[in-house]
Amino acid sequence: MAVEAKDLPMKVAYDVRHLSHFNYHDEAPLWWGFWGIILIETTVFASLIASYFYLNLSYPEIPPAGVKTPDLLLPTISSLFLFSSSYTMHKADSASEKGDNTTLKWFLIFSILLAAVFLILKYIEYSNVEYSWDSHAYGSVVWAIVAFHSTHVVSLVLKTIFVTYLAWRGYFNERRHLGVTVNGIYWHFVVVVWLPLYLVLYWSPRLF
Amino acid sequence: MNRGAKTIRAKKIAVMVFVCLIAAVFFGCSDAGIQSALNPKSSQAARIAVLWWVMLSVFTIVLLIVMVLLAAAVVRGSKDGEPTELSEPQKRNMVLIGGVIIPIVVLFIFIGYSVFVGRYTAGVPSDVPITIEIVGHQWWWDVRYKVEGRHLDVRTANEIHLPVGVPVKFVLQSRDVIHSFWMPNFQGKTDLIPGRKNYTWVTATEAGVYRGQCAEFCGLQHAKMSFVVISEPEEEFYAWLERETQPAREPVTPEQVRGRDIFQTASCTMCHTVRGTTALAEVAPDLTHVGSRRTLAAGTLPNTRGHLAGWLSNPQSIKPGSRMPNLYLSNEELEALIAYLEHLK
Amino acid sequence: MSESLFEQESHHDTKYVDDARHVEDVDLLEETWNPPGGFLGWFKIVNATYIGRRYVVTAFCFFLIAGILGLLMRLQLAQPEMRILDPDLYNQIFTMHGITMMFLFAVPVMEGLGAFLVPLMIGTRDMAFPRLNAFGYYVYLLGGITLYVALFLGIAPDAGWFNYPPLANLEYSPGMRINIYAMLITFIEIAALVAAVEIVVTIFKQRAPGMSLNRMPLYVWSLLVTGFMIIFAMPVVMVGSMFLAFDRSVGTHFFETLSPAGQGPLLWQHLFWFFGHPEVYIIFIPALGIISSIVTTFARRPVYGYTALVLSIVATGFLGFALWVHHMYTTGLPQLGLSFFTAASAMIAIPSGVQIFCWIATLWGGRPVFKTPLLFVLGFFFIFILGGLTGVMIASVPFDAQVHDTYFIVAHFHYVLIGGAVFPLFGGLYYWFPKLFGTMLNETAGKLSFALMFIGFNAAFFPMHNLGLMGMPRRVYTYIDGLGWNDLNLLATVGALTLGVGVLVTVLNALLSFKFGALAGENPWDADTLEWATPSPPPGYNHSPMPAVHGLHPMWDMKRDGVRPIVTGVREDVRQVVTTTLMDARPQALSNLARPSYAPLMLAGAVGVAFIGFLFSLWWLAIGFFLSFFIIVYWNYPSEDERTPPWNTEEESEAANRRDAEKNEEDTADGR
Repeated sequence: MAVEAKDLPMKVAYDVRHLSHFNYHDEAPLWWGFWGIILIETTVFASLIASYFYLNLSYPEIPPAGVKTPDLLLPTISSLFLFSSSYTMHKADSASEKGDNTTLKWFLIFSILLAAVFLILKYIEYSNVEYSWDSHAYGSVVWAIVAFHSTHVVSLVLKTIFVTYLAWRGYFNERRHLGVTVNGIYWHFVVVVWLPLYLVLYWSPRLF
Repeated sequence: MNRGAKTIRAKKIAVMVFVCLIAAVFFGCSDAGIQSALNPKSSQAARIAVLWWVMLSVFTIVLLIVMVLLAAAVVRGSKDGEPTELSEPQKRNMVLIGGVIIPIVVLFIFIGYSVFVGRYTAGVPSDVPITIEIVGHQWWWDVRYKVEGRHLDVRTANEIHLPVGVPVKFVLQSRDVIHSFWMPNFQGKTDLIPGRKNYTWVTATEAGVYRGQCAEFCGLQHAKMSFVVISEPEEEFYAWLERETQPAREPVTPEQVRGRDIFQTASCTMCHTVRGTTALAEVAPDLTHVGSRRTLAAGTLPNTRGHLAGWLSNPQSIKPGSRMPNLYLSNEELEALIAYLEHLK
Repeated sequence: MSESLFEQESHHDTKYVDDARHVEDVDLLEETWNPPGGFLGWFKIVNATYIGRRYVVTAFCFFLIAGILGLLMRLQLAQPEMRILDPDLYNQIFTMHGITMMFLFAVPVMEGLGAFLVPLMIGTRDMAFPRLNAFGYYVYLLGGITLYVALFLGIAPDAGWFNYPPLANLEYSPGMRINIYAMLITFIEIAALVAAVEIVVTIFKQRAPGMSLNRMPLYVWSLLVTGFMIIFAMPVVMVGSMFLAFDRSVGTHFFETLSPAGQGPLLWQHLFWFFGHPEVYIIFIPALGIISSIVTTFARRPVYGYTALVLSIVATGFLGFALWVHHMYTTGLPQLGLSFFTAASAMIAIPSGVQIFCWIATLWGGRPVFKTPLLFVLGFFFIFILGGLTGVMIASVPFDAQVHDTYFIVAHFHYVLIGGAVFPLFGGLYYWFPKLFGTMLNETAGKLSFALMFIGFNAAFFPMHNLGLMGMPRRVYTYIDGLGWNDLNLLATVGALTLGVGVLVTVLNALLSFKFGALAGENPWDADTLEWATPSPPPGYNHSPMPAVHGLHPMWDMKRDGVRPIVTGVREDVRQVVTTTLMDARPQALSNLARPSYAPLMLAGAVGVAFIGFLFSLWWLAIGFFLSFFIIVYWNYPSEDERTPPWNTEEESEAANRRDAEKNEEDTADGR
């Protein structure tokens, strides 16, 4: 007959009271959750890149005739700002693991500033391109990629401002820094994903 | 147990009923059909039909075997007494052979056979003398003929003539949304995609009158976007083509003349062409020889006087959303217009 | 491997306990975990069992509504030239039928049932992100309601669930309808995605100590694979539908036909079917888990070929992404490429073959108990195999050219989806109803419902194979007389009505049994998995004490050993669960889960403002974005006890140090 668990004597197989409830890295569900988000976003960026090449198949060259090949100088400089923010974020991250709150605060702020410079340079760059999203399919997909990525940088900045605020209040210490860790993971993702986008937007027209 | 056995019996009966249903449905009423893939009238459709019958036979056997095994498994377990166990290797072999080896062999043959058939049906030859250009519109078909070595200006609508025994190439385009060109008795479908050109081909093997229909959802009147396919001996085909090259017949009776005047003064000429008159617009079916066509409104109505009157007086009730507007003609005007259109043979 | 591994793991003294009260303070647990009461409390609930139940009930409501839409279509098509529905309404109805069944029924019901069952089955107290779970549900509900409001206003999408441009472009579909499609598909997919991440992370990190990957129930495996498939499939259609929304609102040119090669319309098809085909397996794979559970329980023995089944589920997940082009055989793509997709499409039959023969081998020597759940599974075998075989047929490019977009396809996918998902789901409903709601469903009514559904389904959809071959295209609101379609269409309509009556019997059965049904004990079916180790319906904390696992069939192991392995030391005063290692499920840390909150409802509202507001103005998108940011801050703001120092008590840091030392020891022992 069916056995009901409540009627059985119990045997303690594991006692877990000695485990910490401060989770680090892969111990924390949140850490895995962020990787889940990153997988989703990677799929989104991959679809955008695939769409870029698919739509450009209909033109003999990228960009289509009559559209100037994008300049390299400004986007490269702005990209360098973004890439270097990954380094400052890394410094913030390791400071938080050591419980060094002052370094954490300042490197979070450096990262925010670098990302802000990137956004400003992007704004300058795209207010000066001669086409818009409604000019042609090439314009649509380029604007979509840039706008989608920039939105990510904006939300990254907003999120990091919140983390900085908590750091200012002294919330983080050498045990409790999961918030900084996952924010850092997401930051690195948004920076790293810019590299293929940068290559696609500014170098693929020179290769094809 | 008893109840269990009953359920199994019921299940068995159900299975048998459906086996009979398969037989009845597929083998019973398969060879009539003027719009049926099971009634092939071209060498392309014939090969696909053979492919279908082969797949049907093999897969029916597969289904039966699995069902028998399942029934055996269930019945053995539910009988009184200790059920006979399969040994571990027997189970493993059953899964390996039934689930892996047999499917791989069957699927391998299936893929090879399918690719073989596909290479024929999709292999549009380049040296075909007759080309038919189809342009899909919401919700009708524009048809033009091109014959190698001849200068033709043949444009018609919703009606396709095919010579028996001669391969014909189709060039498929769309002017608005995606449509799909399908003549089940002759060939599988091919999409008409705006901005693209697609190709297909047909070698009719038997004369007769058949039907085709749009197979890609294309909006409000997707259901009423059909056409007639007439396969006929080669000489009849060329005779028909010769007639189609002529410009429209001049009206003879006073009523027909009045009809032509109405045609040219009402909004008809905004959309339609009648070659040899001032009506040269291309957004609606070419009416140069409309009187000789078999249907109206893209295969929706037979081309009789009554239906023509109904269509002209209120197209929106027959095909709501159609681009053909209500004309608000008086009875007398309607009669004259019908007389003219029927004269355009 | 199982027993010896366990011996190694537990280096504590074995203690036997007779009463749960000696292990945990159940009153305190209830206070901590029970959902807040009252009407307003209802909107704060985050417990996975509650959210899961809401998902299942809501999804079934949408199933019934979409079923009624299906019946309306069948009535219109019963005879030629019927005038029950005008073409405009018909097109809205067939579009809404597809959207509802795919986006509002099939995926949510599978994820919702997973949200309910997975934490119970893996022996944890809630999912990893309880608030996210509630957020997903509200997004789904809001999206679904908005779509139906649109239908009642007569502005529902009308270009099919596949919504191909250029028909869906502004030029050929002006007005609100396709905007609603584009925005709400994106919106509802958010719910599917958060639920997927949630399910994956919960399975990865919160399995009961001892439930290594090779001891995970097949149902949990199937949900894990489904979660990953959603993560890789859904974002693609979201990109597509956002492109469409921008085409229609700000004049971008993604799907326009200006280019000479006509890439635009085909881009949509690629994006849509790259999602659309895996979608079918997203619906079907959880059903594989349901079937495995039911077969195991009612054959009264472990399922045969656990490893083969796991591998075949994973293989199905991978292959599901390699098939999308078989929806595009008629678009004029190069033949050589199409041959690859023929092969891939045919090969997916192999994992299915393995699964079916594993189940047959399981049933073979057993003594099957013919309760309703098993009947639905047996019905699944016939219907799904038939549908699978027609699926292999249409993998053939030339044959598909004949039947593509005809009623043959309608027959095929209803055989695989109703046979492959709805029948197992109904079996699952009869099986888990006692766990979901605490009472047993009536068996006689269940068998009657099964018989009606089985006969009705086959009568409705079998003739459609032949209709398709006889030339009847899909998505037509009517057809003319004289094509030999009339009798078969009438039969299909009668069958559909019978199917509807069969579903109705189950609905009445559920309503009456909920009120008057026999109370179910903890384990009415003598089943093997952990959801049966707790009262029906389960309390807010799911399990007390938390279970440990020594084998693949924990309940049967308990029955054999006469003892119940448990985990102690989880705090009762906060919502705490054990997190375990990914592969071996060794206890790793304690994780405090979120408490009830209004934040999920608020965030769903804010995201709703962004997406639904976008229908009217682009500004709402920006407003919703910033609104969401502030709510996310509120959502994540550390609670009072977390903020007040000292955060780190002496005791806690000592425990943590000890843990680090132990971890190092273990690592050395593993030879790393």
